[in-house]
Amino acid sequence: MERVRERDAAAFEGLYDAYHRLVYGIALRVLADTAAAEDVTQAVFLKLWSSPQSYVRGNFGGWISRVTRNRALDVLRGRTAHSGAELPEAVAVDGAMEEAVLANLDAVEVRAALRRLPEDQREPIELGFFSGITHQEIAARTGTPLGTIKTRIRSGLRKLRADLRGTVAL
Amino acid sequence: MNAHDELLDLVAVYALGALPAQDAAHVREHMAICPECSREYARLQPAVDAVARSAEACTDPRNGAVPSELLKARIMKTVRAEAAPRPASAKSRTLWPAYAVAAAAMLIAMFATVLSMMMQSDLRQSREEVSSLTHQLAGEKKYEAAQRIMIADLMSTDAKRYPVSDGEVVRKGERLYIAMHTMPMPPKGRVYQSWTLAAGAKAMTPGPTFMPDKAGIAIVHVPQSAATLAAVAVSVEPEGGSKSPTSKPEFVVKLI
Repeated sequence: MERVRERDAAAFEGLYDAYHRLVYGIALRVLADTAAAEDVTQAVFLKLWSSPQSYVRGNFGGWISRVTRNRALDVLRGRTAHSGAELPEAVAVDGAMEEAVLANLDAVEVRAALRRLPEDQREPIELGFFSGITHQEIAARTGTPLGTIKTRIRSGLRKLRADLRGTVAL
Repeated sequence: MNAHDELLDLVAVYALGALPAQDAAHVREHMAICPECSREYARLQPAVDAVARSAEACTDPRNGAVPSELLKARIMKTVRAEAAPRPASAKSRTLWPAYAVAAAAMLIAMFATVLSMMMQSDLRQSREEVSSLTHQLAGEKKYEAAQRIMIADLMSTDAKRYPVSDGEVVRKGERLYIAMHTMPMPPKGRVYQSWTLAAGAKAMTPGPTFMPDKAGIAIVHVPQSAATLAAVAVSVEPEGGSKSPTSKPEFVVKLI
């Protein structure tokens, strides 16, 4: 990223090659529209190029995932006039640990771990992340008490973390 | 479940990004003063990032679910137009460490030395060849000039001619020729040889040996000056010639 801040096109291309599938995959999952997903991908990378200072520190993969999700949700909300939650793009967490985790995660393994979650935990997690609806809307959509949804989200995330610990140290 | 457990659940929802903006603000304020909730957030955040990462698995090149190459081209076109120019020397410095440069320079110097030696050798050889060819050319020119003079002398109307059997002896000034036009071939193992008798001499001086061609033509330039000779003769001699005539002369022409 330091080289990207110095306007190094080759360094930027390296970042694109490493992360474009992640960015596009998140946008596609949120929008279910390949053309719109490409637009979001382009917007995210050009934002990275024009404002590299928006990334401060920590895990780059996590940061660009949050930026992508928020951007895709903006597009989705523009279609549906829906207002919902956003992820904080800059998060104050243990960057070193997070960096080690995301650098070693394999998308296929992660997806398999997600599928191993109980359905009643996986569903609110995926709805919350990819649909951009609040936990209250999830509760309403699934006909589940709000408190139960919150607990299932936390339990599911902890279980996912524990599951992936077998692959990488979370 | 106590009140703090409920807060920990909210931290998880916040980490997932499924908390309304107003509730999210409250959670952030609480985490700022609650180490336990802050730690919980730090523990769950990588799991949320893992959820995001799972979407990458949806982009499978086998079913075409990948961004097009045109997308990259569009992005990189913008990026390159705004990119800082790269110093050309920076890359070469990186690629050519000092020892490699030194080794390359040494190789180039060695190559240049060998090349120079080869070129000098070639040059020396070429000079020798040029010298040899020049000498050869000079000889050929001299021979050609002698041939032209000989032809001119033989065709000259004011040359003095001494008819002999099968030919003639021609004198043009101090130059003397034996010109045969119907000369038979000598016996096997024999050649014709010319002889000269210097003025005042008692013995014949051996001259060049020669053979007529298939038509019986033979032209011999007598090397001595005609002004110094009393006679010229031709005899049949063994191959290689003789120091004195060993057979009766075919002809003898007196020049005085």
